[in-house]
Amino acid sequence: MNVLAHGIGAQHDLPLSPFYAFAGAFTALFVSFLALGLLWSTSRFRGDRAGRPVPSALQRLADARATRVAARALGLAVALYVTLQLLLGPDDPDRNPGPGAVYVLLWVGLVPASLLLGPVWRLLNPLRTVHLLVCRALGRDPAAGRPLPVRLGLWPAAAGLLAFTWLELVAPDPASATALLLFLALYTAVHLAGAARHGAGWFDRADAFEVYSGLLARLSPLGRRPADRRLVLRSPFNGLDATPQLTGLVATVCVMLGSTAYDGFSDSPSWITTVQTSPLGRTTAATLGLLGAVALVAALYALCAGAVRLISGQLRHPLTAFAHSLVPIALGYLIAHYFTLFVTEGPRTVMVALGTDNPVPPEPLLGPGGVATLQVAAIVLGHVLGVVAAHDRSVRLFPPGRAVAGQLPLLVLMITYTIGGLSLLIA
Amino acid sequence: MKRSPMRPRAARPLRTNRPPRAARPVAAVVAVLTVGALVLGASACGGRATTHHKPGTSHEQAGGSVGRLLAADDGAGNRLRQVDAEGAPGVTVTVRPDSEDGWNVHLSVRNFTFTPDSVGGAALLGRGHARLFLDGHPLARVYGSWFHLPASLVRTAGGGTGLTARLYADDHTAWAVNSAPVQATASLAAPSTAATAPGEARPDTTVEIVVSHGRVSPDPGRTEIRKGRTVRLRVRSDRADTLHVHGYDKEARLPAGKTVTLTFTADRSGLFEVETHESDLLLTQLVVR
Repeated sequence: MNVLAHGIGAQHDLPLSPFYAFAGAFTALFVSFLALGLLWSTSRFRGDRAGRPVPSALQRLADARATRVAARALGLAVALYVTLQLLLGPDDPDRNPGPGAVYVLLWVGLVPASLLLGPVWRLLNPLRTVHLLVCRALGRDPAAGRPLPVRLGLWPAAAGLLAFTWLELVAPDPASATALLLFLALYTAVHLAGAARHGAGWFDRADAFEVYSGLLARLSPLGRRPADRRLVLRSPFNGLDATPQLTGLVATVCVMLGSTAYDGFSDSPSWITTVQTSPLGRTTAATLGLLGAVALVAALYALCAGAVRLISGQLRHPLTAFAHSLVPIALGYLIAHYFTLFVTEGPRTVMVALGTDNPVPPEPLLGPGGVATLQVAAIVLGHVLGVVAAHDRSVRLFPPGRAVAGQLPLLVLMITYTIGGLSLLIA
Repeated sequence: MKRSPMRPRAARPLRTNRPPRAARPVAAVVAVLTVGALVLGASACGGRATTHHKPGTSHEQAGGSVGRLLAADDGAGNRLRQVDAEGAPGVTVTVRPDSEDGWNVHLSVRNFTFTPDSVGGAALLGRGHARLFLDGHPLARVYGSWFHLPASLVRTAGGGTGLTARLYADDHTAWAVNSAPVQATASLAAPSTAATAPGEARPDTTVEIVVSHGRVSPDPGRTEIRKGRTVRLRVRSDRADTLHVHGYDKEARLPAGKTVTLTFTADRSGLFEVETHESDLLLTQLVVR
């Protein structure tokens, strides 16, 4: 949020007091080893097949053509409005709703929206709508196109996420209209070209925001059962269990974790001093910092996967098999870091959009103690969800004799991430 | 608030006088007497109860034969003891507002020594103590040149602005020259508003920062500030720039090479960045809680 402070979000959360951090770390450790001993020994999660169908009226409403068209029109209209504001409005984030709309309403807002309603960006994504409209106009089938190479997996989305977080956290002036327009233009060009070549399926795997929203939606209680296309209420564990094990899933999750971690430590005065006085120049130093954070998260994960392979022996893709269990941990990081930004700058952006010139952001919902509690609770809860998800996966994949030993490296990894996340909040 | 050193000293001997298991009415009487002694007579009791006075001394006023006792008193029942102007005690008083509470009173005396050990004894030339009065109401007895006057004491005395310091002999007669008591006055006027509303508009934290050749010194760090306190930033930059406190949205122009002071009250909690706009440097972070 360091860089956001130059435009959006002038206030940061207070550093966490060590009491909260220790309480959180202790809880995480305690729950981890409790889970190891007490949780079930045969897999319980049923992934895609689970869930209780919602009332059919609700399903009809959600699937109605009018609803879909309205959502697409809304997405497109807001995107046009933001682009026009960035093009024609004042180049000042206090008076232009554009930067706030991208960094707060879209990027942070996708987290609660996806958690509540599922993969919403798939429906709102203006690029998908543009592609759809162009295909209609040309009389082409939107889905038609060359199939995406399987090896590519989610890698384009991981790269897109990294590019966006670079813009947000590292770029020299991320809230300026020029930077945002340049990024949006490039992003649009790449993805429309990709969709033209590979069909609408391109967005499912390559669009950073769709993949991001889709991964977080795995934890939503609302899901769709692929077998009968029914909307169901399901346990987040089942949604998480159904995460497709695509190549690049690990990379995507590592970018989510690493960039949020970088956001945390880029606030600390010592890192700012390093960047400000670096002989490499600020942008290079900060870029190295961001890449280093992602690489560190990934290296720890690779180390853990290697240990799992050593212990279990026969597992072919230990890297990907457990990647889903890191999604709740990433979610905990996201909530801890962006809650205050969202509840203060979100309404402020809407006020700017409605015409108030440089409005005062609303009073924070929670006091400092409340925010600290929420931060620790989010990180610890994410940890607990991750531990449970990994446990179920390991009792499914490993023979009974090795299930406990097999999940030990993962447990250590998660504790490392969690304590790392808490210490970033202290710093 | 610093406590006056006299209070514990007076309270301890009085407590030892109290019977250990007194019945309730007796305790009440003792308490009343205690309070009464504090208000009226405590001025006479400085040391321990048993060795209250040195041998040969007593509570009787006007002991000793220095100078000439006048019939007039000081307005508080103590007679004046007149001495020759030549070599007579003298006093001046200055008052400074204290940064935390009330005032610091400084008595500067000539031909005079504070003698807390022999108070109650016979009058000796050039020895004794001082008393402070606020608009005629007694405030405190002083045995040294410095005295902290808490705002609460001023309120207890009913408020006022005219502070008088008067010199007394050990036998509680007031030193006088030409039939007028030796005294000095000072005014509490200006700082009394600041003291009666503590916690307002006083710079509590000052942060000094120098920017030269794109380097910030000292290195950017965090400054902890209690919410509601006043922060003063003193910044000097070798290039013309703009100083900005995020969140509070305070800005100040920084002309090259000049120290600029920006003062504001930290009334919102959170972590706020102080930076320059042109060179885009973080100067420090303010942690307000």
